[in-house]
Parts: sequence; structure tokens; C-alpha cells
Amino acid sequence: MTGTLLLRDRVALITGGGSGLGLGMATAMAHHGAVVVLACRRPETGEPAAAAIRDAGYDARCVQCDVTSAEDLEAAVASTVTTHGRLDCLVHNAVASPGPPSLVEEVDHDRWDALVATSLRAVFDGARAAYPHLRATGGSMVVMTSASGIEGSASLPGYAMVKAAQRTLAKGLAVEWGPDGIRVNCIAPLGLTDALSAACRANPVLEERLVRRTPLGRLGDPIEDVGSAAVFLASDLARYVTGQTLVVDGGGFLGL
Amino acid sequence: MEPTVGEVRTLLVGDDSLTEGLHEGLIVRGHMVATVATRSFGNPEALTAAVDTAVALLGRTDLVVHVPRQPIDPVPLVDQTTSNWVAACEAPMTEALAVVRACRPHLVGGSRLTWVVPTVALGGAAGFAGAAAAAEGIRSLAKGAARQWGSEGIGTAVLAVAPEVAFGPDAGAPLAATTTLADPALARPGNPIYDLAPILSFLADPASAALTGATLVADGGVWMSP
Repeated sequence: MTGTLLLRDRVALITGGGSGLGLGMATAMAHHGAVVVLACRRPETGEPAAAAIRDAGYDARCVQCDVTSAEDLEAAVASTVTTHGRLDCLVHNAVASPGPPSLVEEVDHDRWDALVATSLRAVFDGARAAYPHLRATGGSMVVMTSASGIEGSASLPGYAMVKAAQRTLAKGLAVEWGPDGIRVNCIAPLGLTDALSAACRANPVLEERLVRRTPLGRLGDPIEDVGSAAVFLASDLARYVTGQTLVVDGGGFLGL
Repeated sequence: MEPTVGEVRTLLVGDDSLTEGLHEGLIVRGHMVATVATRSFGNPEALTAAVDTAVALLGRTDLVVHVPRQPIDPVPLVDQTTSNWVAACEAPMTEALAVVRACRPHLVGGSRLTWVVPTVALGGAAGFAGAAAAAEGIRSLAKGAARQWGSEGIGTAVLAVAPEVAFGPDAGAPLAATTTLADPALARPGNPIYDLAPILSFLADPASAALTGATLVADGGVWMSP
């Protein structure tokens, strides 16, 4: 990644930042000059991830944070601001596993509660914790959603519900926070994470199907493709973009 | 819950003034209507029992209409308590899933499950961010259910109504005013009895069989997309 540093001296907090798309976005943001704080439920994953970013010459650290705990989110925000003096971007990326496919009338209660806790309550708690700091910097929030929320899912209806709700929650926040100069946007990604790679290895037909429905003919890279979208939305290039969903999936979903 | 005689057997789930208006309008349209007031149950098992009883009274179910509860007063998200948030966002979606579970055994080919939500699902809403998010989640539920049930001939739909109708005129009118620069084309937000219930009648009619998972916007001509 070369060129202008779009996030020089900015500070970003990324939930679920220790692996997958969260780590991809954190890495891309660090490449663009941001100090990145990886909020991770499991420090044993987050610490090596932060160390890898530092080893590449950038500024990163890990804070332990279970996003289902409002106290953990408040502490992660407070730690970020105390240590780095500011918060410019909160990326909400953490999500519970959607679990196996299910019928709508058989959405598992515990699975549903976990999805709501990680995808909606955590956005609510994180937004409240970050608000005064984002207002101080004229910062932004990025929420990771999914095109399945827009399409509706025949296989993962509960997951699609919370992802749909996230989009409209982001729009509401964009309206409420616009006068404070805070922008709120979503990314609906298709990224080749370690988890998706493993799923594709277990089911080779899956990757073929995903690629076949993707006009660009490949799955997105967590850093170069999805991470770049996060950099854009967090940067001044997107200073007049709020309440929007950026679908970063190689053209697979065209229904917006 | 006592049903009124009519041709289309309709189960109405909800307990606010919008539900009451839809009930009256469906009766006017000749539906047999049984209503399950959501405040009458405190857990999913009680809801299922209430639905089973109502459907037994109806004899069959052609149309189920769920009107999730909506908050009345706008509260900025940063000023909300957790209980505010749960009531506005999490509870309506959980309730919608409970309605699906309770009603699914009674849905057969040709029947339809419909939700009535505010149009703020489409565009978000200041002061109602959680409620708007829940409404959008329910729209996704309707799509997922439509994809799963379509092969059985069971349909779903969403009726999106004006904020004034869903939240009441005091809170809803300011929201509607920020939705578009244009005035509502029909110069009224939509009367539950005379404007909205007839659309539900259409959704119960075989003429609408090819329509499923879709959102019909009936807000007097504010939202006009897609």
C-alpha cells in the first residue's frame, strides 16, 4: 500500500481487530498512518496481531474487550483516549458466529441473543462510549454489516436480521450525530478471511460458488480490498459521506 | 380475541392504536379477525398458547398481521438507557421471531404473514434509531421467511407506514418532515381503517400471490423508491 497517508495521526479503535477482516482493516489503517487499537476478546489472539503490525513499522496495540460488556467497551475507549489522546474512528467489526443454517421458526434462542449482543447492543454501548470523543475530533464510526441483511437470508435469517438492523441504526446515528460533525457508515464486505478460507477448504464448492457470483472473479482481500474501504470511510476523502453502506464484495450484490 | 364473522380469516397480533385501526378496517373489509394483544403474554409459550386459541376460533388462518410495538417518545441514542434500547430495538425483533414460531404451524399454502412497520426502517430516524433498526431487521426477517416458505406457497410481506401512523402525530410528523423535501403526494399519512387495512386485504387475496418478501410503502407518497 503506497501513496498519501490518509489517516496520519489519527487513532482508530477496531473491535474484533485481532483476526479476519478486523485485522485487515486495522492493518490497512495503520499503513495509512493511524494508530490502531485492537479491541479483542482473546488477548492471546490480539496481542500477536498487534505485534505483527508493530513489526511492520506501524503503531498498534491490543486491549482486552468483550463487546457484550458495556464496561469493557467503555474501558477500551477510555484506554485509547488516555493512551493516545484522542479517538478518530470506531470500527464495530465484532460479531458472534451465525451458527449453522436454520429455519426462521427455529432460530436458536441463545444464538439470537449472542447475535443481538455482539451486533446491536455492542454498537449501542460502543456508540455511547465513543460519542464525546468522536465529537471532539469530528471523527467517524464504521459498522460492519452484510449484504445478507439487505437481501434477506434463506439460510441464516437471524444473522441477516441483525445485519439489516445495523444498517438502519447507522443511518439513525448519522442523522443524530451529523450536527456534531460525526459520520457513521457501514461496510458490507466479502473478504477471504482465515475463517472463510477454512470453510472453502472444507467445502471446495463454496469458493467456486462465491467466485462465480462475483463479477470481479475473486474474493476480497481483508487488507487491500476491505481495509481500503475502511481507510476511505475513516478519512477526509469521505468527509461528505454519512449514513451509507459501502458494499465491498467485487460486485456480488448490486441491489442497493 | 373473539373473532368477527367474515370470509378472510385474519389473525392480528399487536396492541396499540394502529392495531385497533387495522382491526376496524379489516372488519369493514369483511375479514374475520381475531386479535392477540402482545401485552397479554410475557413469554413465548404464552404467545403460542394465545395464537393457538385464536386460530382455533378462526378455524383457519389466511392472513397473520403483526404490528410490533413502537416507542412513543423520541430519545437520542446517547441519552437512552439500556432498558430504553432493549424496548425500542431488541424486544420488537425478538417478538417478531416469537410470532413466527407461534404462527408457523398454522400457515399453509395461500396464507401470508405480514408485518406493519414504520418507514423509518428504510432511512433511519433521529430519536428513534433503535426502533428504526428493529423495523429494518424485521424487513429482513420477512425476506428470509419468504425465501424459505415460498415453495410451500406461503407468503410474507411488510407494510411500511408513515411515522405519524406508527409513532403518533406528535413524534411522527417531525420525522416525516425530514424524510423528503417534497410534500406527501397524497397530503395525508394514511388512515389505518380506510387506507392501510385495504392493502392488507389485497395481501390476503390470491391476486397478490406472486408478491412475497416485499415491502409495500403506504405513507401517502413520501418514500417512492425503488
